[in-house]
Amino acid sequence: MDLSLESALNAPGTPAEPSGNIAGRALDEWNAAYAKVESYFHALRIQNKVLLGRLVIHVLKRAMRRAPQEPQLSATELAGEEMDAVVTEWFGQVLQEAPVSANHMLSTRGRLALLLVDMPGKWQEQFLHPPPWPEEFIKAMREAYLRAGPDFQLAKMAPRPLDLGPIATLSNLSMLPFRKMIIVWCGLMLLFVALFIVTHNSQQNEHLLNEFLTWVRNLFH
Amino acid sequence: MPASAPESSRAAGQKSTAVYTNRPVRRWLRLFLFYSLVMLLTGAVSVLFADLLWRSGWTGTSTILLILFVILFGLISIGCMHGIFGFFLRTFGDPDRITRLGDYKSQGIDGVSVAIVFPTYNEGVARVMEGLRTTYVSVEQTGQIQHFDFFVLSDSTDPAKWVEEEQRWCELVRELDALGRIYYRRRISNEGKKSGNVRDFLSTWGRRYRYFIVFDADSVMRGETIVDLVKLMEVHPQVGLIQSIPALVNAESLFGRIQQFANRLYGPIFIAGLNYWAQDLGNYWGHNAIIRTDPFMQYCDLPRLPGRKPFGGHILSHDFVEAALLLKENWQVWFAYDLEGSYEEIPQDMISNAQRDRRWCQGNLQHSLVLFGRGLRGISRIHFLMGIFGYLASPLWLLFLVTFNWALWNFKSSELSVIVTRGLTTPFLKLSGKQHAFLIFVICMSVLFVPKILALIDLAFDRERRRAFGGLQRATLSAVIETVFSSLHAPLQMLWHSKFVATILLGIGVNWGPQKRTANGIAWSEAIRRHWGQTALGIAWGAAVWRLDEATFWWFLPVLAGMLLAIPLSVFTSRMSLGARARSLGLFLTPEEIHPPSELDTLRVRMALLEKTQAPQPANAIIAEAVLDPYVNAIHVSLLREKQLNPEYRDALAKLGVGRPEVRELAEKLLGQGPEALTTDEKMLVLSDAEVVPWLHRQAWIRPSKALATWWQAAIRKYAR
Repeated sequence: MDLSLESALNAPGTPAEPSGNIAGRALDEWNAAYAKVESYFHALRIQNKVLLGRLVIHVLKRAMRRAPQEPQLSATELAGEEMDAVVTEWFGQVLQEAPVSANHMLSTRGRLALLLVDMPGKWQEQFLHPPPWPEEFIKAMREAYLRAGPDFQLAKMAPRPLDLGPIATLSNLSMLPFRKMIIVWCGLMLLFVALFIVTHNSQQNEHLLNEFLTWVRNLFH
Repeated sequence: MPASAPESSRAAGQKSTAVYTNRPVRRWLRLFLFYSLVMLLTGAVSVLFADLLWRSGWTGTSTILLILFVILFGLISIGCMHGIFGFFLRTFGDPDRITRLGDYKSQGIDGVSVAIVFPTYNEGVARVMEGLRTTYVSVEQTGQIQHFDFFVLSDSTDPAKWVEEEQRWCELVRELDALGRIYYRRRISNEGKKSGNVRDFLSTWGRRYRYFIVFDADSVMRGETIVDLVKLMEVHPQVGLIQSIPALVNAESLFGRIQQFANRLYGPIFIAGLNYWAQDLGNYWGHNAIIRTDPFMQYCDLPRLPGRKPFGGHILSHDFVEAALLLKENWQVWFAYDLEGSYEEIPQDMISNAQRDRRWCQGNLQHSLVLFGRGLRGISRIHFLMGIFGYLASPLWLLFLVTFNWALWNFKSSELSVIVTRGLTTPFLKLSGKQHAFLIFVICMSVLFVPKILALIDLAFDRERRRAFGGLQRATLSAVIETVFSSLHAPLQMLWHSKFVATILLGIGVNWGPQKRTANGIAWSEAIRRHWGQTALGIAWGAAVWRLDEATFWWFLPVLAGMLLAIPLSVFTSRMSLGARARSLGLFLTPEEIHPPSELDTLRVRMALLEKTQAPQPANAIIAEAVLDPYVNAIHVSLLREKQLNPEYRDALAKLGVGRPEVRELAEKLLGQGPEALTTDEKMLVLSDAEVVPWLHRQAWIRPSKALATWWQAAIRKYAR
């Protein structure tokens, strides 16, 4: 990896720069581009400062080379595009997959593989490094995948109709397996109601109750 | 085609079939004995009450009072009988429980596949994942992990929760090296809510698993308990579902700890009593239960109920109905009440508790439509009725009190004097009117408190359990305080539940809004906002009763006290500091607090660590991560692409609008104006598009700052160090 920016800045045919400009863009613009590229590598959890610096310079160098031909693009856009290209090309090499520009399949797969093989923890020095890579690293990257679920085994569940009709229910109540119990309980409740009525309805009933209670008392004595 | 229960049992061998030969007869007798005693108690005390009404002069309101009394006393009698039966079963041994009906411990589970599912809906993601981690590790320690797959079944509609779930799931899988063992799936639409969520899982993967175990977002289970449940299912091929009894754990506030203590102390005798009459016709409580997949898929897809909300539409409390449908098809449902190692958490304050009750109330009232469903078992109807009356009892109690007041006012305004005549009890007890009323009051209180006293006696006889509760003295003191608290809390529950029933029946929604909490509990302003109505009612009611009859006021004081003290009660019981203080005094201790099982200990430590290290994120911060973070973005996109492989999800995504040019326009708006410019639905749509999300990632990183909203510029700056 060429770490010098000189080759980009002094490319043959490059017109003389006004003071403070680099590759046709203001120094501040390149500073913003630098910050953004650096932030992206931070987002990828590149913690080694030397490596980080090398990678940012590498990307910026490519952006500066393109800069004179594409004056309509800002330094940040150029650097951003180059950063994306550098990373995606590297994913293509490691994963042996050709990049397809229309979708972002390769980039997504590559980033996921970096996460699953724990690039920031175990393989930081290999990131964006040209081949050859350690066998273990290549194997891990190529086999990394994320499965959110096992193979589908699709089946159709269909709700069974539930007859809720009150008329059907009334006829159904007589079919209850506990109907005998319910009858006994109803009888029990009726007994209590009858007891109450007998004891409270009239003086005659009260007299009858008193006689009954006297009889019960005598029985126990 | 799955086999019916008898065919299945034949296929699986006759090992345990003999055990069940006489069961229906015995169950019939148990049910008869249990409810006959309830009837006897209710009938006898109701006659006593009717006698009192008669002695004071029968009026129209007496009839209403008597009817309400019979219903309300019947309900507390059922509770009391559960306590009495449970106490005797625990004291003298209960051979008729599923764990005693066969030698399940030696049963192998080779060739068995089980799914453990965690349905989640906008829940605290960290807690769900930590609960899963704890359960996974615990199952791993049994050496049987190869039989289990874990699924996070998300129904989340909050984009931030969705992305966080994916992120934490991926972290969990990596940390536990559980790729291909722990899965994550988010539905496109949450149709049918939790039951629809589980149904979607079964339709996609159900056929792969012989059993599935449903967890709640706050559930944890011990690996050994899970394996035991699987073994029990293997030993009893006629069983369609086994419900474990989750112990309430991890409460920190005073309210939470009181509820937790009550659950752990009184729960065992109640559940033993319930198991006495339910036996193989038990119930399902929606989580911490193992289910046989085939019959569940065949019979338990719930129909939509006819009519409009609140009764029509999707069945909200699906669990009772699913159990009833299994029982209808002759599958057995059991409570495994003696299996330890099943846990869940509870709300930490009275207001959150009421919010949860509001949801359950609607679901239980909806069961009144299913109550008379053709072909359901009688016991299923009893389960439904108990659920319905769990909420309906409150308005009935309120009506009873109001009717009583009405009768009192009527009597006072008539300016007649009380003439107490002779009654049924006169020849035996020779009670005055006041003594007669007091006797009924004492009986009612006894019926309410007997189960609590029996639970304490049960504890006194069990040395190990006694120690686990911190000793008998502390447990007794805690039970006394708990009784005082529940007496104050009950009138508030009555008012809340009455309001819920009324609003549900009238089809009025209740918007609770976000809750204002301090780190220590409910804020005073929040308590005033929620309870001022109850307090005002308590003052007005108390003043009215005082004016009518001072003597009656003192009888009403226990009911009024809860209302008058609602605000401070709500604030103080929500306090974590008071919960900790009570703990240091040895109050409301539970076995899980004194000797925390390793799984709960790990969970507690990890959650405390997460709370310390992970500050709450500002709104939309997780959206920034989904777009900017190369790894979070890659996880999200990969999962979206995998979703496309399921034809049903593909159709649902297309129906949602994914792939249309409008989504790209929304994405442009997101970049240009920031996430605040999009509605939640729009954000969900953008995040559902597998082409747009990686495009956003690329654009956010290559565009110059001026082409991005300032919000994005700030988000990108966070990556600079």
